[in-house]
Amino acid sequence: MSTAVKNQVRVCLLSVKYNIMREMVNPVTFVTNILFMMLNNATILVQWFILFRLRGEIGGYTMKDVMLLWGLTASSFGLSKVLFARVFSLSELIISGKLDSYLVQPKNVCLSVLTSATSTASIGDFLYGLVLMAFSGFSVGRLVLFLLFTVTGTVIFVAFTLLLGSLSFWFVRAEMAGGQMVSGMISFMTYPDGIFRGISRFLLYFLIPVGMAVWQPVHIMAAFSGIADNGMGVGAAGQSLQSGLAALLTVAGYAIALMSFAVFVFYRGLRRYASSSLMEARM
Amino acid sequence: MHAIEVENLSKTFQVRIKEKGMRGSIGALLHPQIRQIKAVDQVSFAVEEGEMLAFIGPNGAGKSTTIKMLTGILCPDGGSVRVRGLDPVKRRKQLAYQIGTVFGQKEQLWTHLTPYDNFRFFGAIYDIPDRETEERIGELAERFALEAFINTPVRNLSLGQRIRCEIVASLIHKPGVLFLDEPTIGLDPVVKENIRGLIRQMNREYHTTILLTSHDVGDIEKLCRRIIIMNAGQIVLDDSMEHLKQYYLSGERREQERNGEIQVHGSHARLHRHEDAESVDSSSMSLEDIIMEIYRAEGRTEVI
Repeated sequence: MSTAVKNQVRVCLLSVKYNIMREMVNPVTFVTNILFMMLNNATILVQWFILFRLRGEIGGYTMKDVMLLWGLTASSFGLSKVLFARVFSLSELIISGKLDSYLVQPKNVCLSVLTSATSTASIGDFLYGLVLMAFSGFSVGRLVLFLLFTVTGTVIFVAFTLLLGSLSFWFVRAEMAGGQMVSGMISFMTYPDGIFRGISRFLLYFLIPVGMAVWQPVHIMAAFSGIADNGMGVGAAGQSLQSGLAALLTVAGYAIALMSFAVFVFYRGLRRYASSSLMEARM
Repeated sequence: MHAIEVENLSKTFQVRIKEKGMRGSIGALLHPQIRQIKAVDQVSFAVEEGEMLAFIGPNGAGKSTTIKMLTGILCPDGGSVRVRGLDPVKRRKQLAYQIGTVFGQKEQLWTHLTPYDNFRFFGAIYDIPDRETEERIGELAERFALEAFINTPVRNLSLGQRIRCEIVASLIHKPGVLFLDEPTIGLDPVVKENIRGLIRQMNREYHTTILLTSHDVGDIEKLCRRIIIMNAGQIVLDDSMEHLKQYYLSGERREQERNGEIQVHGSHARLHRHEDAESVDSSSMSLEDIIMEIYRAEGRTEVI
């Protein structure tokens, strides 16, 4: 790792650390935020329990598949908000000209901006995801795969949000459409892909990257662990280990490609950045 | 080598315009109209190493836009900029190691952290080893008298204390050029004087080139030896402070020339783009009056 990269990583981690330090000023609030986030997520699973009592399989998914899907979604979303929370308010920063302080620093602007805020409550999302994964069938191999796909899911999720946020360099009020798309992505991530057909399925793979963020990883995890043979659906029964490995590389490649494209768009847009004379404070 | 070299620098902003009311909003939706605003128009100047330069003008004159182009925040539409020999757009990161910025209206410090933690963070940003950062913090804390509040969260500091910390944060990496954009805004006279003393000290001891923008004539008069006045995106005056005072405060009536370069006792003073010849009775003028007069001579009727 080059010195420049090491220094960049050091600054990013320091930034996250300082953000967490801010949240830990009140330890009680810090812990209760995390616990309530987990509890809040858990309540939503109740509806799935009821549905699976009525029907053994939905869209090719069993209850355990849905738990894995939810777990991966929660962990990816949680990690995105712990490490890169600022991506969710990027539009606001661009529109109100708040990128100045990042532009006068000798660091990667995109990374510095994204890591400049942290949502500690989202640690609850991340932990909740791990708990669900454990309930869906724990093994060390699955845990490793789960963590790997949490990283690719985070990259895809952040890249998609970065891409939409960067549109604010060109379009006024682009943040509204961007916000809707991101909310839509989160919602679709929690449904089995088997219930979507035709154009909607196509769009959820190629317009909103839900497919690569969580659906493919759930299929791959099933294929790797052979759980499909033990009664888990997910349509993974036909997948071989080789095809699972190829799919894994496809997901990783897709995540890298999408992030590269999003970063490219951000820097193209940055040339149009207009700053502002508004008074501001770094919170 | 000049610390700053600017040639024919230009920047135009596009602003959407709409008629008033709902009808205007709907009209703007169907037929969007965009107005081009030339914020900076063919500006050229150079600053020597170690020079303290006042860069002033009325609100909207284009001085902050110019500074933002010099620091790599904004991309120019035309012309060229070199700060310590570097192009701020192409070599933004390398330049950042050599410049410091203090924007009086924009905090760079994390408000929930103490100044000490902030300085440590800035040390990491500029890749300074921890031990060196510690030494630098110690040195600057002593010089800027921060010891009493260096471990107090920034949000609990007074404005004067915060500005001192902002200046120290911008000096952690020993920049050769410092851009101060209204550093004394909102401060009381005593604190202002204190900050001015620190800026002078910085220039004297570290030979730091300082480009200062301020609406406070006291800052300009007490700190800078040279003044550049901008209005409507152009430089309307580039002169030494000494000559400006001598010229306007000498008690004589002098006639400003139309379209020209004024030559007074062999001085290099230049007053650009004058369209109306006029006389100025300067027998009892303060520097503030002079600056207002120059703003007005350039078509600005209301000075804020």
